[in-house]
Amino acid sequence: MIGATPRFVTWAAIAFVLAIALYMLIPIAVVVASSLSSSQFLVFPPPGLSLRWYGEILNSEAYLAAGWTSVKLALITVVVALGLGTPAAIALTRFRFAGRDAIGSIFLSPLILPSLIFAIGLLMVFSRYGDGPSFTGLVIGHVVITLPYVIRTVSANLVDLDPNLDEAARVMGARWWQRYFLVILPQCRTGMAAGAFFVFNISFDDAVIALFMRAPGVETLPMRIYSTLEFSPDPSVAAVSAVMIALTILLVLLLDRVFGLSKIV
Amino acid sequence: MAQLTVQSVVKRFGALEVLQSFDLSVEKGSFAALLGPSGCGKSTLLRIIAGLERPNEGRIMIAGRDVTGLAPEDRNIALMFQSYALLPHLTALENVRFPLRMRRKYDRAEQEKRARDALALVQLDTLADRYPRQMSGGQQQRVALARSIVAEPDLLLLDEPLSNLDARLREDMQIELKRLHQTLGLTTIFVTHDQDEALALADTVILMNRGRIEQAGQPEEIYRRPRTIFAADFLGGANIVTLDVVADGDRRLGRFPDGSLVPLDPALSLTPGPQAFMLRKEAIGFDPAPGLARLQGVVEAQNYLGRQTRSLLQAGGVSLVALTEPVTLAPGAQVAIGWDPQDLIPLARD
Repeated sequence: MIGATPRFVTWAAIAFVLAIALYMLIPIAVVVASSLSSSQFLVFPPPGLSLRWYGEILNSEAYLAAGWTSVKLALITVVVALGLGTPAAIALTRFRFAGRDAIGSIFLSPLILPSLIFAIGLLMVFSRYGDGPSFTGLVIGHVVITLPYVIRTVSANLVDLDPNLDEAARVMGARWWQRYFLVILPQCRTGMAAGAFFVFNISFDDAVIALFMRAPGVETLPMRIYSTLEFSPDPSVAAVSAVMIALTILLVLLLDRVFGLSKIV
Repeated sequence: MAQLTVQSVVKRFGALEVLQSFDLSVEKGSFAALLGPSGCGKSTLLRIIAGLERPNEGRIMIAGRDVTGLAPEDRNIALMFQSYALLPHLTALENVRFPLRMRRKYDRAEQEKRARDALALVQLDTLADRYPRQMSGGQQQRVALARSIVAEPDLLLLDEPLSNLDARLREDMQIELKRLHQTLGLTTIFVTHDQDEALALADTVILMNRGRIEQAGQPEEIYRRPRTIFAADFLGGANIVTLDVVADGDRRLGRFPDGSLVPLDPALSLTPGPQAFMLRKEAIGFDPAPGLARLQGVVEAQNYLGRQTRSLLQAGGVSLVALTEPVTLAPGAQVAIGWDPQDLIPLARD
């Protein structure tokens, strides 16, 4: 196809793509640069370079506690969301039943609806029937907003599956529980891994639900960052953000290593 | 002794009767083909035998046991799917071991040994540790085959076993399947819509049409002596002509639409009147010897097929197709064609 696309169009397209990539990377670069600041204040560009703010956050009781809360919260959310989302995805893709499409849409609705709505509803329910906001409430809220991701990724795994697998297993003598655990569930592995990744990131990053479910003694990392920014902004905020970025990149690399990203996304 | 008995099985999907009081008996050790066009009920019958579908009426007996009410997992059978249905997360060896694992036959070491033996039987022992996605279609099918025979099933069912393979692999696999059947002696039933496949593999062909058996018998018998127009047409394709049977003293002659008369097999006792006959393409020859049926014809077109030539002819007021030794005839050429009167085989309308 000689001369199918004029050369200048190709170059313009490349330039355009590079501009978008730059646009997406600049905020990250700004945060990382600021975290290396020697200044007392959160300013960009930093007047000098130092690693002192990383030392600060590692010595900060508040940051460490918030970080631990966030990790704990994200891990618990991953386990619960996978535990609920995987069987739901299996049921939605493999069985035909009345109201299947409606239920499927409800499961995916948190993707479309603002998480603010869930946060408000959750707060009202917990205030009326419980002792107000709590860690449990936070887990429930996070499970609600992350469940669609698990259902989506696991379903994507299952729709490509040979529909005869289940019947083949039956003829080979597999009982229903054996078919579930030895035939169907293993096919969901990559979807579950991808789902877990999304769930962890969303839970770890969430500020909306966390804000509404702010309970005494329960502070997540995003909330910590937010209140620091509000009351005494210093480069420690950038340092924490840089650590979160590093953690995400690490997770992506791990996922790619174990499952191959191309198979998941 | 019959290894499989299907007794007055009826299967309905809504108002549609897919199987109409179906009876079938397959002898132990035989290799039977369920042959028929799509929608004839052959796949439904296979699924009923496997237990994946429940008949509305009737009984299924396998190895002398009534299995009608039994789930597939409780019938000691194997079914190879058209899609192979290999477990993607297991290696070839683990796939083959799976039925033994599920049925709790033998200990782990013995299971692995038997799985390896089964893989060796289909010449795949060197690929035991590969995953299905790392294998070609033909190799995957061999794994599926090994998995089907490993647990010594009472019945081996194959659903369109060769349809996903290209022509060359298909030929290899036909030999392979036949060899495997001779080695193991498993009672095998396979479903196919391909008459060549049925004739090449089976020792019993069960030709199905609209939910019932059209004709059943040995391949040669069913090919040479089809009873109906459907059977003649479905098996190998044939010239089907309607002749007017006329009496000439004791003899019977057939009159072509243009009035040409040909002798009929004296062994047939045919009543005068219109009658459908089959004339196999390969039964027709050029320049017939005296004593054979003889007809003047015109060549319309030819296909050169290597070992044979296919000629489209106009003769007796009908179109005929002949498969002969390679011969080149110009379109429009006048030829004398002929056949042994015994090759004109009368067919029932239905």
